Amino acid sequence: MKFHGPRATLRMAELHIIGQIVGASGFPHSSLFCKWGIHTGGAWRLLSGLREGQTQVDSPQTSDVAFWSHPIDLHYATKGLQGWPKLHLQVWHQDSFGRCELSGYGYCHVPSSPGHHRLRCATWRPLGSWQEQLAQSFVGGGPQLRFPDVIYSGADRYRLHTGAAGTVELELGIILRNFDKYGVES
Amino acid sequence: MASPSDLREKIRKKRRALQESLAKSKDDVDTQALVTTEMEMSRDRGRTEVEQELSGSQEQQVTTLKQTLKAQRMRRRRKLLSDTTAEATRGEQPMGTELSEVGEPLDSVTKPRSTWHTQRDLPPLPVETPLRRRVAEKLKAARSKAETLLQQEALSEPTSCLQSLRDRETLTRFDVECPPQTDPGLLSREAGDLSTAARVKFQDVAHRVRQKAEMETGLPTAEMAYNFFTFNFDPEPQEEPVKHQKKRKSRRRDRAEEEEEEEEEEGDSHREEEEAGAEQEEEQEEGRDEDAPLVGDQGSELFIIDQTAQDFLEVKAVDYVGYHSRVQRESEVLFTPSLRTVPASSKVPENMQPRYMEDEGLYVGERPPMSRVNQNILENRILQQDEGKKWFGDDGRVQALPDPIKQSPTRPPLFSLEGDLDPALQTVYRKALKSKHAGRYIPGAGPGEGHRHCQLDVDVAGLIFSHHPLFSREHVLGARLAQLYDQHLARQSRNLTGLLTDKLNGLRNALRNIKDLHGEQGRSMAMRQRIVEYKEEVKNTRILRNTEQEKDRTLLKSIVKVWKEMKALREFQRFTNTAYKLHLRRELVELQKDEQGFEAEIQTELAELKGEFEDEYQRKMEQYSQQHEEWRTWRRKQKARKKKKKAKMRDDGEEEEEEEEEEEQEEEFLGDEPPKPELPEKQDWALAEQQVRERASRWRRRPGEPVLVPEISLSGSITPTEQCPRGEIARREDISKRSLLVKVLYNDKEVSRTDRRTLSSDFRVHFGQIFNLKIVNWPESVRLQVFEVVGSSSSLLAEVFVPLPDTTVLTGSAPFQELEFGSSQRVAFDHEGVGSDVPFSFEVDGSNKLTLLTSGKLSCCISWAVDNNDVPLAPPTSQQPWGVRSGLRQMDAIACIGASGLSDMKKLSKWAAESRLDPNDPSNAMLMQLLTVASSGSMQMPDYFRLEQLQEEFNFVTDEELQRSKRFRLLTLRSQEVAEFRNYKNIPAVEREVSEKVFQDYERRLQEGEVIDTRDHLDAHRALVAKYLQKVQESVVNRFLISKHHFILSDLVQEDEVPSIGVLGLNLFKLAEPKRPLKPQRKERKKVTAQNLSDGDIKVLVNIIRAYDIPIRKPLSSKPAMASKSARSFKEPFAAGQSSQSALQGGDWPLSQSQIRPFVEVSFQRTVCQTTTADGPNPCWNEELELPFSAPNGDYSTSSLQSMKDEVFINIFDEMVFDITEDERERGSSVHTRIERHWLGSVKIPFSTVYLQSRIDGTFKVQSPAVLLGYSKERSLASEGGYDAVRCLSEGSFITLFITIQPQLIPGESVRERMKEIKFDTQEEERLLQAAEVFQRDAALCFPGRPCITTVIDINGRAVFVTRYIRALSPPQELLDAFPNSPQETMDLVARYVSLIPSLPDSVSFAGICDIWSTCDQFLTLLAGDEEEHAVLLCNYFLFMKKKAWLIIGTAVPEGPTAYVLTYEQGHYLIWDPSKGQYYGQYDTFCPLQTVGCLINADNVWFNLQPYDAPMRMSFDVTRSKLWKPFFSRAFPNPGLSSVQPEEIAYNRPDKAAAAELQDRIEKVLKEKIMEWRPRHPTRWNRYCTSTLRHFLPKLELSGGRDVGEEHRLELHNLLGDYRISGFPLHMAFSELHPLMEMVYSTGVHNVEAPSIEFALAVYVHPYPSSVLSVWVYLASLVRTR
Repeated sequence: MKFHGPRATLRMAELHIIGQIVGASGFPHSSLFCKWGIHTGGAWRLLSGLREGQTQVDSPQTSDVAFWSHPIDLHYATKGLQGWPKLHLQVWHQDSFGRCELSGYGYCHVPSSPGHHRLRCATWRPLGSWQEQLAQSFVGGGPQLRFPDVIYSGADRYRLHTGAAGTVELELGIILRNFDKYGVES
Repeated sequence: MASPSDLREKIRKKRRALQESLAKSKDDVDTQALVTTEMEMSRDRGRTEVEQELSGSQEQQVTTLKQTLKAQRMRRRRKLLSDTTAEATRGEQPMGTELSEVGEPLDSVTKPRSTWHTQRDLPPLPVETPLRRRVAEKLKAARSKAETLLQQEALSEPTSCLQSLRDRETLTRFDVECPPQTDPGLLSREAGDLSTAARVKFQDVAHRVRQKAEMETGLPTAEMAYNFFTFNFDPEPQEEPVKHQKKRKSRRRDRAEEEEEEEEEEGDSHREEEEAGAEQEEEQEEGRDEDAPLVGDQGSELFIIDQTAQDFLEVKAVDYVGYHSRVQRESEVLFTPSLRTVPASSKVPENMQPRYMEDEGLYVGERPPMSRVNQNILENRILQQDEGKKWFGDDGRVQALPDPIKQSPTRPPLFSLEGDLDPALQTVYRKALKSKHAGRYIPGAGPGEGHRHCQLDVDVAGLIFSHHPLFSREHVLGARLAQLYDQHLARQSRNLTGLLTDKLNGLRNALRNIKDLHGEQGRSMAMRQRIVEYKEEVKNTRILRNTEQEKDRTLLKSIVKVWKEMKALREFQRFTNTAYKLHLRRELVELQKDEQGFEAEIQTELAELKGEFEDEYQRKMEQYSQQHEEWRTWRRKQKARKKKKKAKMRDDGEEEEEEEEEEEQEEEFLGDEPPKPELPEKQDWALAEQQVRERASRWRRRPGEPVLVPEISLSGSITPTEQCPRGEIARREDISKRSLLVKVLYNDKEVSRTDRRTLSSDFRVHFGQIFNLKIVNWPESVRLQVFEVVGSSSSLLAEVFVPLPDTTVLTGSAPFQELEFGSSQRVAFDHEGVGSDVPFSFEVDGSNKLTLLTSGKLSCCISWAVDNNDVPLAPPTSQQPWGVRSGLRQMDAIACIGASGLSDMKKLSKWAAESRLDPNDPSNAMLMQLLTVASSGSMQMPDYFRLEQLQEEFNFVTDEELQRSKRFRLLTLRSQEVAEFRNYKNIPAVEREVSEKVFQDYERRLQEGEVIDTRDHLDAHRALVAKYLQKVQESVVNRFLISKHHFILSDLVQEDEVPSIGVLGLNLFKLAEPKRPLKPQRKERKKVTAQNLSDGDIKVLVNIIRAYDIPIRKPLSSKPAMASKSARSFKEPFAAGQSSQSALQGGDWPLSQSQIRPFVEVSFQRTVCQTTTADGPNPCWNEELELPFSAPNGDYSTSSLQSMKDEVFINIFDEMVFDITEDERERGSSVHTRIERHWLGSVKIPFSTVYLQSRIDGTFKVQSPAVLLGYSKERSLASEGGYDAVRCLSEGSFITLFITIQPQLIPGESVRERMKEIKFDTQEEERLLQAAEVFQRDAALCFPGRPCITTVIDINGRAVFVTRYIRALSPPQELLDAFPNSPQETMDLVARYVSLIPSLPDSVSFAGICDIWSTCDQFLTLLAGDEEEHAVLLCNYFLFMKKKAWLIIGTAVPEGPTAYVLTYEQGHYLIWDPSKGQYYGQYDTFCPLQTVGCLINADNVWFNLQPYDAPMRMSFDVTRSKLWKPFFSRAFPNPGLSSVQPEEIAYNRPDKAAAAELQDRIEKVLKEKIMEWRPRHPTRWNRYCTSTLRHFLPKLELSGGRDVGEEHRLELHNLLGDYRISGFPLHMAFSELHPLMEMVYSTGVHNVEAPSIEFALAVYVHPYPSSVLSVWVYLASLVRTR
């Protein structure tokens, strides 16, 4: 039997992220939808699947949990571990007039161990000044991040006044491939 | 003694009685409240008396028991008595009261006893446990003690309180039975109180109450429960017992402890007393016996009610340890640190004084605050511990770290959120907006993507007037002073003098060094040159230094002078206007040193000067000697010449003198002798020294003179207005009236202006406003206009042009610039203001006049803005025209060199080296720093920005390897939906399994994007067209893709409609419908979206019902009837009921003959199904064929399905059976036949039509070849009957079909629906478009089924009004010339020509996009188009031929919405099918046109308003507005729309050579194909037949495909008599080779498998103008008959 080193066979590390955004709970409003996206470092290459998306609006009638069951199916190839995929979420609320306003930002790392994972991503929401809060309570809308990449970037957020929003629940199945070839044990 | 059984018997009786009484007393509600309270009270009490009562009620069951009881009671009583006596003896209270009170407790003891009767719910137990008795005893004892204590307490209490208590007791004692009984001593007293009658009464009441209580002991009734919970009980009776209880409880607690002691103490006396009291007790018992039966009865009743519980339970007092004892006990175990302060001595080690660090000056941190008490406790506790002292510090306090709590919160306060928040974190308040297009989620994208705008930020900071008309004289001086001071400061900061001095020294040193190092001799040429250069440098620098020094000095002097003037002025005018104040700071210097330095400097200078002079002299001497030499040579020559002259002139002597003079003159002229060098040198030297000294004394600080540093401060006080003279007040008032504003003009347009700011007394105005200019035009100029506003009128004061910034100058980094402005306006005032352009003087006498103009400095800053993402909003540098000069060049080190945008550091450093910049020059400082940075290797400026550092080091693989991965590439391409890889199912999991071949096609396509592949197209022109079409398609597809992604709800959600009342009603009616109606109707099936389908899910159902007029076989022997090929006239088809032809032929053929056995074969996607064989020319099959369907690449999306080019072929064959039994003998026993089938005709239906229409239902004309060898069209009227009379007027065969798809697919939005959503840009007038929209909408409202077109999309994607397409166009001249005499023939030919242009449905080429109408020339160039183009072209041709022609927009049977042409011909309307070239009469049954929506000609559009839309049932008279609604009417006349069609179409000549070539190629390809299709059989070609056939084809073409068969069939027959021929010519418009092959294949000629079969195939291509080709393929199979 011939030995094939990693170079010889060219086995690249691959990562499958297959799962769903199950739903959200704990938000003050119930009619919610979610915009999501996956951010990776430069070493990562998307082979197939959608990097970002938006769920439908779910307005649950009984419970306060909004269910989306929005599928996520991504296939990445990578040449390095840096910039492991992060999932960032924006939960939006659609009010009774059909207007959309932000309910929460959140982000979580895609788990790095293979298998099935249930994630709960806590979200937050910028509060803004009291005038804005007042306006928000009467006419809707609300402060939003000017640069939404703050959600997942490590900018100094301590100056930001935020309030807690609800939790988004995710179910992700992670499949790693050929990572062991490069000494990454999972 | 009663036995237990007796007892039980009794109990049963009692229970019965009780129940009766219960029923009786149910309505006694009044007393219930009382009872319940009673109950509650008694519940707690009396438990101890259980035994007593038991014994009483059961008539002394157990005598022993009784005795013991007595003994107990006695003991208790005795104890009580002894207590009281003990107390009495103690003498605490008087005896009398004592006695009376003794009764009380006893009373209260007995009282519960009686109430307890009612309460009792425990069954009696015959045998009492001793334990229980003992408990009871104890309790009783305790209680009695408690009573005594209570009594004692009561005594100590105030009497009033006691009184009330007692009163209440008596009140509640109504239900008490007979308290006096208990104590004989008291009995007599009480008996005296109560009469016997009262007693009886009491007893009654008690009885009743008891009964009630009994029933309560059972289950309380609902009523009672209700009352119990709801009644507001009287608090008074309740309060008392509670009190009692409480008291008793507390007493008991106390007693419990005392009891034990007492018992121990009094143990002996008890025993004595017991005996004594036994008798007493006996009596008591007897006394009670009177009551016993009553009580006993009741008791026995009660006991039975509940047999459970308490016997097993033991009632115990709460185990309680007294507080003091507990404290005592605890004190043995626990340690309680005291709260007292610990003396300091105990805290520090012995013999030591506490030491306070603070006093020693050491820093001791602040101790955390702690309460004194806690600290004491802590200290006390610690001290008790082992080594407790180690916790204390030297100062005798507990060691503690300083207070860790910060006074201020660590988190910075969030006062202003917006202020200085990191811009990356800023939030925007966005209104809750309704998003029409819910944008895709892009995490990083800003709002304004796409077109980027530029933004200039103009920051107007403020302005300062250096002169203003309102300046007072003092202001003028002040301004001058300030100006001078500013100058001074600027000079000082630049310190030019110092720098130049340094440089000078440096240069001198260098020069000296050189001189020292190298002796005079050793100097090389270069060195000498350098020395000269140095000297020159030194000289220049010195001169510069001197001038600078001079300037400094003058400046200082003038400052002082101005200040003096100002002071004088202030003095003079007696008020102060400005706050300027000048101080001159003296810095003393050391005289000695200074003098030395001064002298040394002068000496050096002199030495240098000397050197310079010497050099100069030397140079001059050299020059002189050189010149002198020259002169001398010249002179010599001159002399020689003179001599010659002299010799010559010697003859005449008079002239000699003159000559001499001349000579002299010449000498003077020539002799440019330099003046003697020695003389000026000496003279100069002395003079120079004097000059130097003088200069030094004048411009340089004299030695010992202090250094004067002027300082101006604004600390001076301004005289208040009241103290000023009138003129000054007026001036000041004037100032306050004025305000200023600045307008910003961009490219000479005012874009904004600042607020008005009042002019302050110091003539400084601060604006501080930033204007953001969003720029569209290139900046040419930015002007700032300063306006002065007085009241409401404003006047332009000055205008400042601001230089435009470089694109690199960005907001935030741009410095402010001060721009000077001035105004020549003449302003004069009658007050103190000096005015502008007005002469004024500081002198009193008015001399020395001065004229000043308004001027000032404007501070502003212009820069390019930076957007939120830090992207400069500047225009790209490359666009910047050269004229723009940067105003900030002097600020930018590189820019000031004149090398703006120079970014190459190497070049820069090279340039710097070359130009030998002075490193000490401050103006070069920035540059030098840059250069040092650039030149030092470590600080090399990278020309890139590393985003993810250290990425490289940790990479698994390199980028190239990642790129090289074939598998990844395949995956990516698949997900990108590249055409080749779309729906690629399985991608190997391992890299090596991906073959390289996969990408070949794709890569080839990428490479050969532009290369035209002519192999598939045979014709270069067509290949080009195909390419062009592809490109158009691509671009249109791309444009459409965006709108395709825009889903509407119905695309995603399939929602069943909620049934309304109407629908429900209909459904109800349906119940009544017959189960099997006579005329069943097809029901709408459920539609399926095409997304989740896969191969095999979809089937195409073809229902073949019947066919008419199929040609029949012709026996070989029969004599052919010559078909009269009469010139057809248009009238013929419409003449009803006459068919001479068929009548003629009808007689020739016997009916009985087996004419034909046709069957139908349906092929779709190479799947073939066939029906059974029927008989006769009008067969009826009624069979359903099911064909599987698979989408291309398994892509079942709507667009893919719509663009499918597959067609459903329906072929009609004749089945012929040949007997091939060779052996005649076997004929009887076996059948050996061969079946052949002969193609008779076909119908093609494109799949896209089926898909879009979801079903196709109707009768179609079978496209049969013009000639069918071996068959003839026969009709017999007899067989068809009268009903068919109308139908048979049309020629050809017909087939009735029903085609659909199972399951039904939702067709993509139809072309026209799509059009409504997409707004195309247009050049039409808005009004016209609106009218068109209204027209179309109305049409759709009235008749939704009728298509109506007003605007169409042209090939550029613009909306065009449809009438613009109609214009008379000339057909090719050849066609017109062909039949000069017969207009009908010409029309036929023209129609044929049009039909020969290949048809390509738009929906195929522009999948699901829109209906695109190309103009006729485009159509002819592309040679492809759908029905509309054909119809437009045909209509235009007809118009040219002076026919009345319209375009019909309607629906036809196979193709759906389509366009036909209507012509009016001699009273008849003809409907032309443009893509087939056929025409139908209006009343033709088989006209494929089913509905007519609207008619269009060049002038107008008419919409069909008639009730019927079938052409047969309607009128085509468009003048009748009731039937046809015109678009352009009188209300909205036709604006005279010009046509989009060209005036003339240029036609290419038919290319015969190309046609011939194509013909050969087609023939070759087809022959190869046929051989290929017959892999197992040899294919022989009959050349003779082929050549014969080839001759026929041109004839067929000439006849236009009409029946010329008979002639050449005969011919053939003659030639090939031995063969049985079956064959036919196929004809089609040529587009590509593929459809041709498909058609040949579908005829199935190749399927004949007779061993002796031969084939003949002839191809003829007839060229028409503009490369329109008509292709004929003659196919025949021959079987030798002999």
